[in-house]
Amino acid sequence: MIEPLGDLAMVPMRRLIESPVDAVFALSPGDRVHVEVGESVVVGGPIADRLRDARLEEVSIPATADPVPGARWSRDGGSGPAGVHRTEESGELLFTWRGKWRLATGDVPDPLEAPVAGIIRDIQPGTSITLRATGQGIRGIVTLGGPTRGRLRLATSTSGGLRPSGLNVGLAGTILVVGTRVDAETLTRARAMGIRGVVVSGLASKERRDFLASEARQRAALHRLPPFAVLIMDGATRRPMAGPLMDILELLVGCDVAIISDPPTLVFDAPEVALPAPPEDLVRIRGGANMGREGRWLGLAGLRRFESDIHLEAARVRLDDGSVVTVALGDLERFG
Amino acid sequence: MTSEPRAFATVDLGAATVSVSIVGKIGRAWRLLGASALPSACGPDVALAALLERIRRTDPSLAALLNIDGSGIDELVRLEVRSNPARTLAVVAATERSLGPLVVAARRSGWRTIAASAQTTDPLTMSRLLMDGGTDAILVGATDPPAADERGALGELAALVAAVALRRPDRLVVLAGGMAERLAEFGDPAGRSGALVLAPAAAVGVAGVSLQDLLVQLAGPSDDARRALGIAASTLADVSDRRVELVEIGHDGGARAFATPATAAGPATLRSAVVPGAGLAPADVDDDVIDRVLAWSTIASDRHRLRDRMRELRIAPWSAATGDGLDLRVAAAHAALERLIEATPDEGPDHVPDLIVACGGVWASMPPSLVALTLADVMRRPGASQLVLDHARLLGPLGTIPDAAERRTLLADLADDLLAPLGTLVMPAGLRSGRAAGRLTIHGAHPDGITELSPGELALVRLAPGEAAVAEFRFRDSVRLGGRGRQFAIDVAGGIGGLLVDLRDVPLRLPDRAEARREQLSAWQAAVRPGGPA
Repeated sequence: MIEPLGDLAMVPMRRLIESPVDAVFALSPGDRVHVEVGESVVVGGPIADRLRDARLEEVSIPATADPVPGARWSRDGGSGPAGVHRTEESGELLFTWRGKWRLATGDVPDPLEAPVAGIIRDIQPGTSITLRATGQGIRGIVTLGGPTRGRLRLATSTSGGLRPSGLNVGLAGTILVVGTRVDAETLTRARAMGIRGVVVSGLASKERRDFLASEARQRAALHRLPPFAVLIMDGATRRPMAGPLMDILELLVGCDVAIISDPPTLVFDAPEVALPAPPEDLVRIRGGANMGREGRWLGLAGLRRFESDIHLEAARVRLDDGSVVTVALGDLERFG
Repeated sequence: MTSEPRAFATVDLGAATVSVSIVGKIGRAWRLLGASALPSACGPDVALAALLERIRRTDPSLAALLNIDGSGIDELVRLEVRSNPARTLAVVAATERSLGPLVVAARRSGWRTIAASAQTTDPLTMSRLLMDGGTDAILVGATDPPAADERGALGELAALVAAVALRRPDRLVVLAGGMAERLAEFGDPAGRSGALVLAPAAAVGVAGVSLQDLLVQLAGPSDDARRALGIAASTLADVSDRRVELVEIGHDGGARAFATPATAAGPATLRSAVVPGAGLAPADVDDDVIDRVLAWSTIASDRHRLRDRMRELRIAPWSAATGDGLDLRVAAAHAALERLIEATPDEGPDHVPDLIVACGGVWASMPPSLVALTLADVMRRPGASQLVLDHARLLGPLGTIPDAAERRTLLADLADDLLAPLGTLVMPAGLRSGRAAGRLTIHGAHPDGITELSPGELALVRLAPGEAAVAEFRFRDSVRLGGRGRQFAIDVAGGIGGLLVDLRDVPLRLPDRAEARREQLSAWQAAVRPGGPA
C-alpha cells in the first residue's frame, strides 16, 4: 500500500542508514582463506591471503589423496638438482587433465585483513568471502580502492573542496570527509601521507581515471602503502554533500569507520551515537538550476512546461532562504 | 485473466522508470483510462495509487461504473512486467573462430557477455573469469561436429569448465554444439542447483536463431519485459495485419523484434533479440559509448565532461531532463539505438516494416518529433513506415497474457489508445545531389499543397494525428522507395510529428568536423520541432 506521505511518496527516497551490511571480498583462484563460515572476526584480523602474480603449475597427485577441484594442496619440494632445496609448493587445485592437476599458486601473498568486525556468512574459495559487519552502513555510489579503515574526520564543510595544500601528516590514519569534490593529485598525496581514505560527494571522471591509474601503479609496487579508498556518495558533478548525510558524518567524527567496496559503503559501529532522522518533508534538488539545494516540500504543482518544451510533473519546494521554486519531480530526492 | 473484472492495471517496472496504466471496459471494448510514469525507486504501488486517485477525481461516474471508485490498488488485477538487470554469461570456446558465433548469439539474448577462448586465454585467467563472483552462468560451445582446430583444446577446456561447474553447482551451465558430447564429464545434473542445459551449436544468420532463442529463455523470468515485447509485437502484427518492427531502448538494455502476420504464402513470423549493450546509460561508460554519444551530440563538450554527464544519467536517470539534459538524452538515445541496430544486423527485414513501434522509458523524456527524428537518423532504409510510440508502455504487460485469443482481443481494443502516432516516415534512396529532387503533392482532407523536394533535406508536412492522405511523389530521377521508380503514391497517416520526408543520404553521412556536425544535427532537430523552419 502507499505509505502515509501523500504526494511526497512520489519523490524517490534515499535511505541514509543501512543495516545489516554484508561486505563481499573478491577472491581469485589460488587465494588462501583463513576463516570459516560462522567464525567471528575482529578488526584487522587476517581473513585471506591474495596471491600476487599467480601462476599455474602441473602437479602429480596420487589418486589415494582423493584430490578435488578447489582443495588446497601443498608439499615440501624436497631436494632439487645439485642439492638445491626446492621451496614448498602450495596452492589451489583447479582441474585435472591427462593425469595431472593444474595448481594455482604464487610466491607472494598479500594479506587481506577484515576492515570491520563481524561474522563470516559465506565462503566461495576462488570467488568471494562474505562478512556480515557489526554496525551500520552509509551507502555510496562507488568505492575506488580499499577496503580500508580509519578515524573519521571532516576536512571541509558541506560545500567545500579539498586541495593538496589542505593536507598534513597529522591526518595520517584518518578517513576524510570532503564536501564537494577532490582532485586526483590531492588523493594521491593523501595516500602518500598515510591518510586511509576519503569520503566525497562527487568525483569527476578525469580525476577518477587519474587516481585509478595511480592506484594501479601503487598496487603493482613491491612495497605498498596501507590500503586507501575513495567513497563517492553522489556522482560525478560538483554538488554539496546532502545535508542529512553530512549531519550523520559530523556526529561520527572521531569514530573508527571502514570503507568497503562491495557494496560501496561507509561502515561504522557506534551504538553510543544517536543518529538523527531527517525531517519527512525535507527534499534535495539533485539536478537543474538549483542543484544541491535543499528545502521543504510544499506539494505537487501538476504538469509543468520546462525548458526545451518538455512537460514534466513538478512540485513546489520552499528553499532555506524562504523562496519557493517549482522543480521537476525527477530532480528531487528525499531521505529516510 | 478473465473477463470478469471491469478494470485492470498494468505495470512496467523498468530500471529507471515505473510506468503504470489502468484499463477499463467501457461498453464492449477495453479502453486506456490513464497512464503515469514515475522514477522506479518510488515503486509501482505509489504510481498506481496516484493514478487511481486522479481517475476517480476526474470522472467519478466512470470510476463507479468500473467498480474502482472505492477499491484500493490491491484489489485491481495487475499485469506486471519488469526489466531485470542483465545477468552475466561467460562464453568460452576452444578457438576464436568458434567463439565468435557464440558471443553474437549471447549478446542478442539478454545476457551481459564476457568471453574468452582457449586459443588466447591461459587456463588460470579463464578459471578466474568463470569463478568470478559477477559471473552468473557459463556457455561453453564448439561447432558440431568439432572442427579440426578445436579438437586439440576441447578436452582441457571441458575439464576446466567441468571443475568450475563442480565447485559452483549454483551456476547455470550451457553446453552448446559439439561440447554436448562431453556431458558425462560434468557429473550428475541432479546434484546441481543450477541447470545443466544442452543447446544447439552456434551459427551465423538464421541457423543460429535456435541457440539465441534458448538463451533468451534462460536469461530472465517469464515476466521479463523485453521477452514479453516480442510476443506483443507478434500479436500487434496479427491484429493490424501489418509488418511490425519494435525497437525498445531502456536504461539497462534494448530489444528489437520484427513480426509479420500470417498470409496465404506463409505463417506468421517473429524474430526478436534482447541486447543489454543497447541501454541508454551503460554501467561501463567506455570510450566507445562516449564516442558514439559525442557523434550525435548537439552541444560542445569534452570527453571527460561528457563522461561525467553519462555517469550522472546512469545514477539519476530522471534528473536534469530539460535543456542540456534533453540534448544529452537525445544523443544517448541515438547512440543506444545505433548499438541495438548494429547488434542485430540480420534481424532487420529485407523490406521496410509498415509500422515501427518505439518502446521504452527513454522516449518518454523526449518530444515526439525528436523520437521520430531519432528513428529516422539511425534506421536508414529506403521505404515508408508509420511511426508510433508505446507511450504508456502497455505492450510489455499485454505480451504476458498467456491466452493468445485474449491477448489479441485486448490489443485490438487498445491499439488506438496505446500507440501514439508520431507520423509517417518516407525515406527514398539514390537521390542525385546538386539539383532539385522532385515534387511532393498531398492529396487528402487537409492538404499542405505542393512541396518541392531537395536532396539532403528533411521535409516536414504537417498532418495531424488521425488524418490520412495520399502522398504523391514525382522524382526527377529514378530512386529506391520500396521498389525503384520515379513516381510513387503512398498512403500516409498523420501524427504528432506529421509526415517526415527524409531526403538525406542512406546511410546517413555526417560532417567530420565536430562543429559542423553539431550545427547540422541542430538544424535537423530544429526542422522537425513544432514551429521549426519546415
